[in-house]
Amino acid sequence: MGKLTMGCFSSLVGSLSLDFAVKLTDAAVKKGHKVDLWVSGNATMLSKKGQKAFKDYSALEKKIQELLATGNFQVTACEACAEARGYRKEDTMEGFKRHSMDWYLASCFSADRVLHIGGD
Amino acid sequence: MKLGVLVSDFRNMDDILSKLTADKLGIILVSNGVYHAAVKEGGGASSILGKSPHLYVLSEDLETRGFSAEQIDRRVKPVTYSDLVDLIFNEYEKVIWV
Amino acid sequence: MATKKLAFVVKTLPYKTEASRLALTHAIASQTVEIYLADGDLVEPVVAFCGDGVLNCLKNQKAMNLYGLTSIEQHLKNSLLLDLKVLYCKEDMERLGISEDSLIMDAEDIGGETKAHIVSFSEIQKEMESSDHLLFF
Repeated sequence: MGKLTMGCFSSLVGSLSLDFAVKLTDAAVKKGHKVDLWVSGNATMLSKKGQKAFKDYSALEKKIQELLATGNFQVTACEACAEARGYRKEDTMEGFKRHSMDWYLASCFSADRVLHIGGD
Repeated sequence: MKLGVLVSDFRNMDDILSKLTADKLGIILVSNGVYHAAVKEGGGASSILGKSPHLYVLSEDLETRGFSAEQIDRRVKPVTYSDLVDLIFNEYEKVIWV
Repeated sequence: MATKKLAFVVKTLPYKTEASRLALTHAIASQTVEIYLADGDLVEPVVAFCGDGVLNCLKNQKAMNLYGLTSIEQHLKNSLLLDLKVLYCKEDMERLGISEDSLIMDAEDIGGETKAHIVSFSEIQKEMESSDHLLFF
């Protein structure tokens, strides 16, 4: 089994690209792979706890928590991008890390595959 | 190199796809890229479908947009997210999202 | 001791979205990645601008004056100051009518020695082939 590193910069709710990243993560983890997900730019919204699940809006917090519980998934938000948007450490959901951009590069270093999804 | 290209848009894809070369080029239609498999603009198939014999479309994104596997170009193979994981790990050394 | 090469390929226009800024800041982060890696392990970035992305590389950007933002121009100069390999696609420059003298080719004004290179797409393709991973912005 291998390791997939993904970077996604797309908005939570505003773009389904982030949902794609999470669904692909789910499929990869179910097949026994490890996944690192780096969120930067608008995707740092994903780190915010207390997201409400409405039918008209994609809801990813619960799935992220389930994936974290597997032990084969790490998700990290760009600290600068989060802070610029007013997301503080205390706003971050349990298990969601925050680091600077070099974390993503380090994750790429040890990945078998890297998929960079980019922004909206 | 064996390169998997996840095509996520319906417009403005020709520029980059016409330049990329690979020993094996896979085109995987996801998100709004699925329209390349399902829509015949001006009566003709999308030019992207001629870029490689290895063509795939993500079924979930197809069905989300109101299409079924029966409606897509015959050259394109529907895949699930699980299939996509296998493509990424087993068929292509590098993958990009455009 | 290993070096992994990452190709950052920028094809999007600047400022409407932050994609190209993030490409450069992430590439620059290669300077500090070793804190996460084993001794001697490195990440080597190459940044290539192609398609409409070559328009990121024009001189005289006034983003700081007008939006209070560090310009892509400044991020590019920082990249060159840090000796990152920066490539501009020759065919896309020609297609868009961009001459070399309108582009940021060096960071001499801030003490940089490395220059950007105008290359044909085939050279960018070679960089992609020799990279371990590709990140398209």
